[in-house]
Amino acid sequence: MSEQNSRASVVILGASFLLFPLLLCGLALVLYGHVTNGAFVRFGNSLLTSYTIASFVLLFSLFVYGDKRKRPISPLVGMLGAALVGVMISFMFLSQGDLLMEANGSIRAQALSNIIRFSTTFIAISISALIVGGISFASLMNSPTKQHIFDEEE
Amino acid sequence: MEETVLAIFFFWAPGAVFVMGALMFLFAKESSVKRAGQILVGVGILTILLAPWTIPFSPSSSFGHFIGSIVGPTALLAVGIYNLSFSGNVPVGRLSMSERRSGIVMIMLGVLWFEGMHWWILTPTYPAEVNGYWFIFWSTTLLVSTGLAAGAIMLTRRVGDNRIQEQRLLTVVLLMLVSLVIMGFAFDGPRVDAERFAHEFWLAGADVFGMLVGFSLAIFVFAFVIAFYESQLPEPSRLPAPTEDELTRAAGIIAAHTEGGTSDE
Repeated sequence: MSEQNSRASVVILGASFLLFPLLLCGLALVLYGHVTNGAFVRFGNSLLTSYTIASFVLLFSLFVYGDKRKRPISPLVGMLGAALVGVMISFMFLSQGDLLMEANGSIRAQALSNIIRFSTTFIAISISALIVGGISFASLMNSPTKQHIFDEEE
Repeated sequence: MEETVLAIFFFWAPGAVFVMGALMFLFAKESSVKRAGQILVGVGILTILLAPWTIPFSPSSSFGHFIGSIVGPTALLAVGIYNLSFSGNVPVGRLSMSERRSGIVMIMLGVLWFEGMHWWILTPTYPAEVNGYWFIFWSTTLLVSTGLAAGAIMLTRRVGDNRIQEQRLLTVVLLMLVSLVIMGFAFDGPRVDAERFAHEFWLAGADVFGMLVGFSLAIFVFAFVIAFYESQLPEPSRLPAPTEDELTRAAGIIAAHTEGGTSDE
């Protein structure tokens, strides 16, 4: 029973992060019906770009892992392969005409545009974390000092 | 062709330098490499900030313009939050009351600056229309902040003990953010159309969701690669069992360290 409760509380906690963004997106949809235009293309581009960039960052982190493991080659090759798969799939989908292409003249321009947009979204998420995390931390640091549970030893 | 080379030289190469510097700073162990990483980050970001002047013909330069537009309010928010946090109940290195007041003023100015970009004439405009990257940034910031604020309220309810003050403050922040989004949907700003904002908000949702899925996939693949490699490693060679002599010697050493002793020890 307690395990079920803790699982339910984790689900509620996860849902609380998604509730307001979903409600606000729903409101935008109700107010202006056609706001979803281009959303699938943006989702696809964002997914492929973030997968590829994250794979390269994780590949770089394998050098740190390698220091503790006598520098093995096979995980590096495996992760490089995974990152290159991301690059290849991105270019394959971008070359399929309108599937993932936006108002950019060439595949290269679209790929570069995706990278800049990824950076913009990443900056926005970082600043959101700064605002919410910073305000929570500032409030925490400015709350009254709590009483100790046990008396200090004389 | 020449324009492409200039764009590579003044935008993409500094971008790569920035990323390389950040990775060096994050992952390197030696302080000299970390310092070199910091320098590379500084050089990269400065060159990107100069893009509207160095490569005004390139579409990439609008990203440099966008970064330049948000540096001011972001720095005000960051320094303000730092001052406010470390002027509270900090046992060591507590900041003064004047720094606390300046922190509050900085946070208010930072928020007003960001709001002025939506509701006043401060909207980043480059070269003649609203910078598209600012639209992406602003809608994503509002979208993610509402999610984080609601999640943080729930987190303090579940995990924290007697965190009423934090919950109240986060609820005020959440209500402010939701109000701003609804106002953005309902009313046009001087340069920001309500319908365009609603559209960008949806696209921001698609971007963030795509990013979450992409990151999750990459982490899953990474874990799979490591687990696969570890499963292929040969078993470590086993040592032979200890002999009678070794066991007797070990028992003697243990006994010497566990028996006897005086009250002085």
